[in-house]
Amino acid sequence: MNSQHPLWQNLFKPKGDRISEVTEMWMSTPLFEKIPAKECRELVKTMHPRHYKKGEKIFSSGEIGASVVLIRNGGVEIKAAEKLLAELNPADFFGEVALILDEPRTADAIATDDSELIFFLRSDLEEWVKRSPRSGAQFMLNIAIVLAARLRHTNILLSLQNS
Amino acid sequence: MMQLFFNHPLGRTITVFSLICVTILLLAALLSPLLVPIILSFALYALLEPLSEVLERHGLSRSTSSLSVLLILVSVAALVFSILLPHLAKQLSVLQTQLPDVWQSIMGMGNDISQRLFNFLGLDIKSTSITQHFFTQANEWGTAALIQGSNVLISLTVLLILVPIFTFFLVRDYHSFRNYMLDKLPNSNFEMGWLIYHRVAHQLQEYIRGILMQSGIMCIMTSIGFYIIGLDSPILLGATAGVLNLIPYIGPLLAMVLPILLALSNVPIELWLIGAAISVIVIAQLIDSTIVIPSVIANAVNLHPLIVIIGIIVFGNLFGFIGMVVATPTLASANIIYRGLYQGIKTRSDLTTQVVAEQ
Repeated sequence: MNSQHPLWQNLFKPKGDRISEVTEMWMSTPLFEKIPAKECRELVKTMHPRHYKKGEKIFSSGEIGASVVLIRNGGVEIKAAEKLLAELNPADFFGEVALILDEPRTADAIATDDSELIFFLRSDLEEWVKRSPRSGAQFMLNIAIVLAARLRHTNILLSLQNS
Repeated sequence: MMQLFFNHPLGRTITVFSLICVTILLLAALLSPLLVPIILSFALYALLEPLSEVLERHGLSRSTSSLSVLLILVSVAALVFSILLPHLAKQLSVLQTQLPDVWQSIMGMGNDISQRLFNFLGLDIKSTSITQHFFTQANEWGTAALIQGSNVLISLTVLLILVPIFTFFLVRDYHSFRNYMLDKLPNSNFEMGWLIYHRVAHQLQEYIRGILMQSGIMCIMTSIGFYIIGLDSPILLGATAGVLNLIPYIGPLLAMVLPILLALSNVPIELWLIGAAISVIVIAQLIDSTIVIPSVIANAVNLHPLIVIIGIIVFGNLFGFIGMVVATPTLASANIIYRGLYQGIKTRSDLTTQVVAEQ
């Protein structure tokens, strides 16, 4: 996950071009590593921006997920069994497991501020993979790397707790 | 009692599902004069969308690729019609000249049967009055069909103009329109709405592509079969069998009527020709069921045959031939929407119960 301070974003990014800004945010995440910016920009046009109020639930554990979510503005906290797992800021993303598995979400996501989130749906990913198999394969590899890194991180945490 | 019904996931699912059905039915009633071109355009869209995607992949804009797809569609249709129409017109006129022979043959057969029944069993069936009644009825239907003929021509012209225009706009703008509509969903139902939409759209697209391909294959197989057995108008009969094959279960039975009638037109009646005509349809159906359906349509529609048959009869009664064709995909979509809604509402209800229990 990648965090950027909103102040710096506002200072150095051209205002009014939402597509360019979101493209840059996605390109700065490990999910879009080695993927041409032009393709990412085309993909961003198909993504879905949604607005959430402070305290509003984005999704709950047990619900079937269908997308990975990027925070454009605001903040999100991820909780499991009332335990805080992560606090996320603009340019962070979450829920990427739903791009691979048609399974229930394993944690709750709640907006900690009025937030604008960008949803990248699994159905859009599948269409993109069909259109651009080369970049699609790279994207899948990137997801695998992210998930492996998270698994490794969890394993280390568990072994630390046990010891 | 009502409170209990609306609090239960099943009750809420039924309520939401009924609301969706009523909205769709109201829309269908409102758009009833345009229902046929809209359905045909959606079918063509499902068929042509992959082609538009290929063109886009090669660097064309959405508008240019949609326009190219439209041009390809019009060119192919013009080519097919220019080759097939003269043949079909010729075969139709042949059929028209043969019809009196067909009626004559049926009348002769009726007389023959009644004579035999009288000779062997002593039953006096007035075959002349039965056939006379049949001819009067057929004559009325024929007159009605002739009167409607001009209306059909007007409808066909409207279809030929509207369908390409609708298809062009569907290929160009459907995705934007879909996103606009689905983005109106509340945050809490956004992902579930997309999931259900995607499942329905995927299954429908697979079904439409499959069934159009299946219909084409059926048309070619039966045309060849009718040509081999020496039946007149093989292309016309094959095309009819292909179109009727769009109606599951009942279509193949209807497809046998015209070839049997034509086989009956031969005087004296050649029983082997009737058998051969039925065999062509049965063999084509066997190939269709064992090879074409498993490889082309697969499990696109997972419905009980009884539900499909009842659906075809009800839809046919409500919307005519087009109703019979769209019955199966409509029922399949309703099934997916209902299941998706129930799954989503039940999960949310279980989660709420869990939270209340924990508190």
